[in-house]
Amino acid sequence: MPHNIAMISDFFYPQPGGVESHIYQLSSKLIDRGHKVIIITHAYEGRTGVRYLTNGLKVYHVPFFVIYRETTFPTVFSFFPIFRNIVIRENIQIVHGHASLSSLCHEAILHARTMGLRTVFTDHSLFGFADAASILTNKLLKFILSDVDHVICVSHTCKENTVLRASLDPLMVSVIPNAVVASNFRPLHPSEYAVATTSNNSHSLPPPPPPPTSAQPLGPNDPITIVVISRLFYNKGTDLLIASIPRILATHPNVRFIIAGSGPKAIDLEQMLDRHILHDRVTLLGPVRHEEVRDVMVRGHIYLHPSLTEAFGTVLVEAASCNLLIVCTRVGGIPEVLPGHMTVFAKPEEDDLVRATSEAVGLLMGRGGPKGGVRRERFHEQVRMMYSWSDIARRTERVYDLITGSDSSESSRDGRGYYDPQEEAMWRHYGQPSRPASQNFALIDRLKRYYGCGIWAGKLFVLCVVVDYLLFVFLELWFPRSGIDICRDWPKKGKVAEMDGAGDDGGSSLKRDGTIRRTSVVEDDGG
Amino acid sequence: MSGWALAVESRSLGISGFVSRVRQRPLPERDNLHVSGMLTVKHPTPTTVRYTVSTRSPTRTFAAELTRLCLGALRFTIGLFLLLVLFAKARVTLVESNRSQTWYLDELFAKGALGHVATQVAEHLAWRWLIPSSAVILWAIFRRGYTEESLLVIRGLGVQTSTSSPTYLSTSSTRFIPTNVIQDIFIHEAFKGFEVKFYLAIVVEGEEDVVVVFPVSSVGSDSIACADRPQNILPKREALEEVWRGTKACLYEPKAT
Repeated sequence: MPHNIAMISDFFYPQPGGVESHIYQLSSKLIDRGHKVIIITHAYEGRTGVRYLTNGLKVYHVPFFVIYRETTFPTVFSFFPIFRNIVIRENIQIVHGHASLSSLCHEAILHARTMGLRTVFTDHSLFGFADAASILTNKLLKFILSDVDHVICVSHTCKENTVLRASLDPLMVSVIPNAVVASNFRPLHPSEYAVATTSNNSHSLPPPPPPPTSAQPLGPNDPITIVVISRLFYNKGTDLLIASIPRILATHPNVRFIIAGSGPKAIDLEQMLDRHILHDRVTLLGPVRHEEVRDVMVRGHIYLHPSLTEAFGTVLVEAASCNLLIVCTRVGGIPEVLPGHMTVFAKPEEDDLVRATSEAVGLLMGRGGPKGGVRRERFHEQVRMMYSWSDIARRTERVYDLITGSDSSESSRDGRGYYDPQEEAMWRHYGQPSRPASQNFALIDRLKRYYGCGIWAGKLFVLCVVVDYLLFVFLELWFPRSGIDICRDWPKKGKVAEMDGAGDDGGSSLKRDGTIRRTSVVEDDGG
Repeated sequence: MSGWALAVESRSLGISGFVSRVRQRPLPERDNLHVSGMLTVKHPTPTTVRYTVSTRSPTRTFAAELTRLCLGALRFTIGLFLLLVLFAKARVTLVESNRSQTWYLDELFAKGALGHVATQVAEHLAWRWLIPSSAVILWAIFRRGYTEESLLVIRGLGVQTSTSSPTYLSTSSTRFIPTNVIQDIFIHEAFKGFEVKFYLAIVVEGEEDVVVVFPVSSVGSDSIACADRPQNILPKREALEEVWRGTKACLYEPKAT
């Protein structure tokens, strides 16, 4: 059964970023699977009102006051009237919020529960427990997640973190990772390589290395390029990077660095270069647009990621997809992201980072040791098989089916079912929790859940929820549902495909059932 | 707002082959707070269409007409009486200050009962009360209780939008847009107050902003502040779609067959 889903987050295009592309990719893949998806975000400079993106993805840029780093001012109730209006006119059944720092998402989840809708929350980041800001954020998260139907985290570490922070039942938390569009992160094609080496040396980048050939290690004098692409913040481990670069360069005379990204630590980085006079071996590119990341990545052999905390690390997948060997710190969700043969792990400290980088250089030069040589040329294909957005959308759809209680076996209705029928039957009940999958809507039950949040906080939260409910009743009287226009849906491409399919089958079955489709394919193969 | 009556009446002016159809949707009894306007479609000639949207109650029964008539008469009488009071007050003041015994219409105030009442009222009220209260009453009298907006489409020539004025004293504001500068007509959605609404807009060549066709609620009206809320006459989506289709069909010549 197709769902009507509203994705809500403060973070969306035109601002670039990981959460933004996650929302966009997931939404477009869900639309491909026959659902209706809208996105609600706040208004950006020059981007207000209602917009349509590719494939009929509708975006509401709600006019709101932005306070800090594109996060809206947390006015708990002011968003309710317009949120209710949008939800009613679009016939939304599931509200899916993203990013725990987005107040718009938290408010929307609260209001959605008041309105009796199913809610899902996706957490994209890790938080500490010690400092004051984290405690406050965690309390807020606990408040919101007391009454959410399901939570999705991007890695198991993130799940553990979220469960602890928000005191959740681990059974209602799923892990669905990010993905990359592998076709956007292809390694250099030989033809491209020729172009890139001959022309285009405008910004004094080192030429891209020749494509890795199988089992042909680099010689001791061949240049090795290490790429670092990250925002230069404390939590991204820029200090570690600054400390290790001189030592790495001193040990390996054939190594060069390309560093892209901007941030408050950029000055420290430049000072380090000045102090050690490393300008000829380290290239600073400054901020790089997301579309250009691949062009930078393909110029390197090794991708170095010294982050101190990371929930998932999409950039690692992107780098591996460009056939780079990964050197990264063993923090957060990073160890879950890539298989061991693509990565060299380090502890998040200077000495170990230098050791790991040297090990990676050694691996490239064929001094494999126990690991043997690396086959970088195979990375792209492997990553392409591991991560795809259609797979992510399928898994998210399963969460939706679970919380709405609709039959999950229909999830293969599009005929491109991920599992074949036997496996489908086997997986049908996978992930179904022992207790009812979704939370009760009765106000008194909701209040009970909120009351458990803390001695003072519990009472405050209950007050908020009661006010929210009264506001809801008031809105129902003042702006009755009958006065709200219902939108037309974007014409679905699926219908055309359905007609074609019916035509192919000679009109025998209009319903495009997954099993029928699959058997017919098998017959075709046999014949 | 549920009761958008869609009354389509075509008055073909003696042109044969012009079918008149009348479609009326019954208005629900309750929900009088959100009584809304109606869309009226008229075909004065085969090549013109006039779409009118009004917040006026669409009922056309005898009782409703009679009530409307009585209210109008009452307004007129109150207005006249107010003028009379003002005049009497002026007279009283002048007479007191100038010590002159005669002014205009002395007989009326001396003998007529109405004049007497007006003088009584005028003597009891100070200027500082009289002026604001009369201003309020005059405003209430001249205020138009409804808003009417229309779109006149003339094939091959252009469209004319008009919005009725808020008072009876001024005329409606109109705008004519010739066909050759119309780039497109579309329906879109926009945030308006606490709502998202549909609107019909015309893209005019050489202008930064689009022209919103039934603009009262969509462009900067503080309708919530007014006494009667349903100033919001932005028609519902179906009505807009009807106007849009009709306009498209009428504005652009059908292909020669």
